[in-house]
Amino acid sequence: MERIKEHPILGTCEPGKIVHFTCDGKTLEGYEGEPIASALRVNGIMVHRYTSKRHEPRGVFCAIGRCTDCVMIVDGVPNVRTCITPLKEGMKVETQYGVSRKGDVK
Amino acid sequence: MSMEYKEMVVIGAGPAGLSAAIEAASKGIKVTVYDENARPGGQLFKQIHKFFGSKEHKAKIRGFKIGEELLNEATKLGVDVVLNATVMGLFAQKELTVLINNEVHHVKADAILVATGASENMVNFRGWTLPGVIGAGAAQTMMNLHHIKPGNKILMVGTGNVGLVVSFQLLQAGCEVVALVDAAPAIGGYGVHASKLARTGIPFYLSHTVKVAEGEDHVTGVTIAEVDSHFKFIPGTEKHFDVDTICVAVGLSPMTQLLKMDGVKMEDTRGGYVPACKKDGSTSIPGVFAAGDVAGIEEASSAMIEGRMAGAAICEYLGYEDHEEKESREETLFGSLENLREGMFAPKNRGKKIEKTEEGIDISQNLLRHGFIGDDEVERFPGVISKKGIHPVIECSQNIPCNPCQSACHKGCIAIGDHMTSLPVVDPESECINCGMCVASCPGQAIFLVDEEEDHTLITMPYEFYPLPVVGEKGMALGRDGHEVCEAEITNVRTSKAYDHTALVTMKVPAKYAMTARFYKKGEDVL
Repeated sequence: MERIKEHPILGTCEPGKIVHFTCDGKTLEGYEGEPIASALRVNGIMVHRYTSKRHEPRGVFCAIGRCTDCVMIVDGVPNVRTCITPLKEGMKVETQYGVSRKGDVK
Repeated sequence: MSMEYKEMVVIGAGPAGLSAAIEAASKGIKVTVYDENARPGGQLFKQIHKFFGSKEHKAKIRGFKIGEELLNEATKLGVDVVLNATVMGLFAQKELTVLINNEVHHVKADAILVATGASENMVNFRGWTLPGVIGAGAAQTMMNLHHIKPGNKILMVGTGNVGLVVSFQLLQAGCEVVALVDAAPAIGGYGVHASKLARTGIPFYLSHTVKVAEGEDHVTGVTIAEVDSHFKFIPGTEKHFDVDTICVAVGLSPMTQLLKMDGVKMEDTRGGYVPACKKDGSTSIPGVFAAGDVAGIEEASSAMIEGRMAGAAICEYLGYEDHEEKESREETLFGSLENLREGMFAPKNRGKKIEKTEEGIDISQNLLRHGFIGDDEVERFPGVISKKGIHPVIECSQNIPCNPCQSACHKGCIAIGDHMTSLPVVDPESECINCGMCVASCPGQAIFLVDEEEDHTLITMPYEFYPLPVVGEKGMALGRDGHEVCEAEITNVRTSKAYDHTALVTMKVPAKYAMTARFYKKGEDVL
């Protein structure tokens, strides 16, 4: 999805400072301090995790840190709510399978 | 772990919590506000529309501006707003545990206000867990706080005020809204909110709901179908839309977990399962108060007053004010709150079918079913007049507690009177000077200036989209239903600080479309 640049009520949406991070090994750009989930959405990434039993995709649902549907592995830590965790330079974001990395699931 | 002592703790820095903090801090109470979010203001900073009500309710001011005002006031009074602070538990003897930076703080307070707000409800359908199905609040957060489009093509589920307002905000963010659906047979929110969507051409499907969200890894389409009076799908009524996002706005539930944990007496009401409170917000536990959506779902405007009342009650509880002072403050505030609780959409009218306005005029059934007032219905409302020369036309047809239009006009064209929910009346004898203040003041964007001449009509409409039309541009005038009615030329585009980001766009149409042309679409071959 695109970023909003000009908004009739909010005016010009100033671009943030660009930082680089990886998602499943791929290097992507985002704005420093924006939610990880926002940066992912701008990069077209909708699936944040797969459920453990039925292997169903999940993504952002509430965007305010309540529903935990958007959790991913961030810098090695699983179950990080990407919708409220600010993006930082060099972050390593990974799709979560159950509560683990792909392949780590028994 | 040592215990921290606080004089007054507020849980939640939304409109209720901040208002209570301001009220109490202004009397000298030391207030600490905990909020689990990184930013204060609750949902106010996502509310980019103008609020309804009267001046004392901050009507015609946009929500995020109200949020800024509250925060400034609280900061000036020395209120300590602690962010990224999640209150995990509320215990006997007014003790609480707060998680800050992965550390649990043990706090004891003399008085506690729970103002935790509400969370969104969900509706289940096949595929509802697919990425691309989001809550309406999520859409607001993404576009209005983080400035990203939630989706490109969106179906909105729910026609309450949240569904209507968020749909409009999606258009403002540059997204396409393909339709609004609601399982109920009538639009739940304000007719004026529905009308500003309908006139852009967005269809409403009432008695319809989502059958399936389609897509493998994320939403690529949606099928809706009509439901009968028992909410069962009617076979053969399926309709498909290509969308990448399904936005769900099906109501809110009070977030009462902390109050329940504390053992506060609860009750089942139309506003949800809420704490049994007195009107000053005091619960069954002395020193524990509740205000805002957690005490029953209403608007942010009501939450601010409830917060003030709870703040005043806490002033008395902690001995900063005597009983008479509190009672008198409460009476003033309660009067203001009662004004907001009037009209067709009042809490007491929830679930009731209303056939006539307070004035005895038949409600527009077209509005409830399709989102716009029919051309054959509109002239029965007192704000709608036709005469030679310029005059306001106010397509306000439901009794809502709102009156900014009355004070916006200094020429006496518009009268609501003392009863805030009355429909605005346009006086055909008064002289409109084309100032446009009424158009910009209407939170429902229901006011137009119509200048009826011999051979043409100039129609001035509120316009809050980008790009703005430019003078000389040609396109099509759209009717209330969003269908093209005639060709139109833009003759004036006015912006002003006084209009607060509502542009006033004037289009010229043939005289006979004075009462039907209500929106403008740029011609596709015109660049």
